[in-house]
Amino acid sequence: MTTESSAASAEASSPSPGPRPRPVRRAPTDLPFRFADKGLAQALAAERAEPDWLRAERIAAFEAFERLPIEPNQLYTTYLDLRNAELSDVRPYLRTASAPNAIASTRLPDGVAGLIDLREDGVAGLVLEPAAIAAGVILETFGASLARDPDGLRAELEGGDGLPDDDKLAALTRGFWSQGIRLHVPAGIRLERPIVMRWAVGVADRALIARTRISLGDGAEATILEELGPSGVIPVDAGQSLLAGSLEVTLGRDARLEVASLQELPPTTIAFQHRHAVIGEGATLQWALAQLGSRLVRSRVDNRLEGDRSSVEQVEIVFGGNDQLFDLTSYTRHVGRDTTGNLLSKGALMDRSRSFMKGMIVIDRSAIGTDSYLGEFGMNLSKATRSVAIPSLEIDQPDCRRAAHSSSVGPIDESQLFYLESRGIPPDEARKFIVLGFLEPVVARVPLEDARDRLRERLEEKWDAGTGAGATAAA
Amino acid sequence: MTATREIVTDQREQFAFHDDIAYLRETKRGLTRATVEEISAFKEEPDWMLQYRLRAYEHFLKRPIPTWTDGLDKINFDNIVYYRKPSEREEKSWDDVPDQIKATFEKLGIPEAERKFLAGVGAQYDSEVVYHSVKEELSKLGVVFMGTDQALKEYPEIFRKYFGTVVPAEDNKFSALNAAVWSGGSFVYVPKGIEVPLPLQAYFRINGENTGQFERTLIVVDEDAKVHYIEGCTAPIYATESLHVAVVEVVALPRSKVRYTTIQNWSNDVYNLVTKRAHAHENSTVEWIDANTGSRKTVKFPAIYLRGEGATADIISVAVAGKGQHQDTGAKAVHLAPNTRSRIVSKSVSKDGGRASYRGHLKVSPGATNVVASVRCDALMLDDISRSDTYPYIDIQEDDTSMTHEATVGKVSAEQVFYLMSRGLTENEATNLIVQGFLEVFTKELPMEYAIEFNRLVKLEMEGSLG
Repeated sequence: MTTESSAASAEASSPSPGPRPRPVRRAPTDLPFRFADKGLAQALAAERAEPDWLRAERIAAFEAFERLPIEPNQLYTTYLDLRNAELSDVRPYLRTASAPNAIASTRLPDGVAGLIDLREDGVAGLVLEPAAIAAGVILETFGASLARDPDGLRAELEGGDGLPDDDKLAALTRGFWSQGIRLHVPAGIRLERPIVMRWAVGVADRALIARTRISLGDGAEATILEELGPSGVIPVDAGQSLLAGSLEVTLGRDARLEVASLQELPPTTIAFQHRHAVIGEGATLQWALAQLGSRLVRSRVDNRLEGDRSSVEQVEIVFGGNDQLFDLTSYTRHVGRDTTGNLLSKGALMDRSRSFMKGMIVIDRSAIGTDSYLGEFGMNLSKATRSVAIPSLEIDQPDCRRAAHSSSVGPIDESQLFYLESRGIPPDEARKFIVLGFLEPVVARVPLEDARDRLRERLEEKWDAGTGAGATAAA
Repeated sequence: MTATREIVTDQREQFAFHDDIAYLRETKRGLTRATVEEISAFKEEPDWMLQYRLRAYEHFLKRPIPTWTDGLDKINFDNIVYYRKPSEREEKSWDDVPDQIKATFEKLGIPEAERKFLAGVGAQYDSEVVYHSVKEELSKLGVVFMGTDQALKEYPEIFRKYFGTVVPAEDNKFSALNAAVWSGGSFVYVPKGIEVPLPLQAYFRINGENTGQFERTLIVVDEDAKVHYIEGCTAPIYATESLHVAVVEVVALPRSKVRYTTIQNWSNDVYNLVTKRAHAHENSTVEWIDANTGSRKTVKFPAIYLRGEGATADIISVAVAGKGQHQDTGAKAVHLAPNTRSRIVSKSVSKDGGRASYRGHLKVSPGATNVVASVRCDALMLDDISRSDTYPYIDIQEDDTSMTHEATVGKVSAEQVFYLMSRGLTENEATNLIVQGFLEVFTKELPMEYAIEFNRLVKLEMEGSLG
């Protein structure tokens, strides 16, 4: 809890004397990229001849980016390490393809209400079921939105209310995005089937910076499945790539949104993620977030329970291997009366992987009748792993139904192992069952059966790779 | 809850008193290199200590004021007297203590306490130990219990071997400040195999407006030995800020057992910034029993570094934050060796706009296999103008650690109060009883006399009436 580490790290970051320019020693807090300058913000605005308000928006965000520290919360400054990222050669896409609200629905996959498929700087597909189109559901890129409904887009983007204003990387996304998805579900419309948002990246030395803006009108309901994966076969020794993205949610009265995210980015990709939700009266939001891929994930989730009786449920799993680092922060703020927050994070770590789980619950004085729970649980499967949990509470209103957090870190439970072995299951198999069972809460919340099965498969593959079981089987 | 808020008032001034003392020696207000040299010269210290102080002073200047907790920037370091000597020499017997100082101690109850059960008394009046008695039986056992300044002269070898090894001067800004200007405090050495039969007790006391108190305590418990040390504080109330920056170092050698109990009740104008740390060697047990009810702001996280295999750490931390107070307290357990165990229990009460923060650090380092650790923190808020925070840090770098952490925040339940009132208690009494019950995990660890005193203190904190 010392705050003086920054002084020491500043010394460490100064270039060492000698002719060898590489590898540059970086402090854990040094930014791993340098593309974000005013020129780029202006170039992005010029590329699409963006209106003045959007140009001003980018410049304001750039200025915030310049001003803000990499970690706004002093509680967490010691637990930040960006050294896995080496993005100094990375160039962001300047212009990405646009796609208007889809009309074609013939190629819609089974069980899906809509699909937007983004591949690097292109749009590989955008489809929406006819009923949704008829009901006024909008699914389009920001580029298309700017042409069709500039005032509507302006209302949603100007001022950056959909992103935390104290966060440097959120300002990066706000100022330097080149792609965006806008989804709007009008009041009273309930989409029975999920909308799939697919992002594929991984080309060496490229950065895709993107925003997603989701708004649900009063009483609207929707389910979103976000899939983050490779855009092709990415060699393991390729240069790094960056995906910086946001998911900005506004829920009207009694609206209901479920979001499941499967993060299976290539091991050469660095991910900066912001998810920010403003939850209206009686509205409900569910997050199910699975973190498997990428070399370094820095993610932040903000849940603002503004409306009375609003609720959020968040489950997040991390399954780490190699030298992956998952840096996951979650802020939940209770503002309205009788709001509910239920947050659960679970991490299973193999090899040299690390997870930093930082959770903060804030109960404002206005939030009478709050029920808030935060759980952070870890399973270290190898001696070289590191599992950090910081489940914090800041409470100004004691009149709550519940305000609690709990955390545990432990190895695989010996009694569970013994039980499974007594049932004739070989020890390696039993271990796998226990670990995958530990992560099951998120898997069970993924909306599509295919996606669920694929997630289970990926988890199993990762276990096999991490434990060498796969290699043994192949031999 | 509004009813509670109206009836709870601060009664602490009843215990605060201030005597006008003619100070014989004191440094000029403010801190310079010359101040540090002057203090060392007053004390006729060996050169190594002077050099140590000067290095610490340089480090103090370099370190920024911590900003992770608020309000420390309000401390005016230039407006503090860093050394003040109340009487020329250490007093051997009670009769030799100047009457005026004696009168202050009478109010604190030291003579009675001694008659009753004390093994030894080290009473700190401002910056120097003025009164000190060690019972004959302790001397016979070879137990050393004296002022830290005296120990530097009389036991230079053991002093130098351990001083600054648990809390280095460079640890933080305030440990550097203490290392530069420290004065007074207790030194305890318990030889191999000796169990000290009664608690060692020291009263610490701040007197004099803007007097900084920079006590330094060093406790070394040799192999297979056992000791319980108790400190408690009161202080007079003044208009401007007082500063208390202490360092406590505990060395628990193999198979020893140390318990350190604190009841902190500084007056509401004191900044109480304390670095307390223990090294627990093989199979030793260290216990911090720490209660904070006073001060304007306390920043204190009693820490135990479990350095030896099989060591055990037990920390109970209790805080009561009233009007204008911020208790930024908690605990740290750092597991550095295999088969070590730690247990942290924290209880906090916030009321009348006070703020109680729990900060904890639980770390399991690589190589510390088979660790079992638990953390439990509960907070009680008595009204909605107060605040309660919980900031636990859990950092596990081994694969077979068993760690659990639980925290809850709540209020006094209306049902409980109603039930007790139906049994004939007033609302005041009912709330008081519930709070006492909430804090019992701490109280039950105290010697009886202290438990009574502590319950009285809580009652005074809680009640408006004199009852």
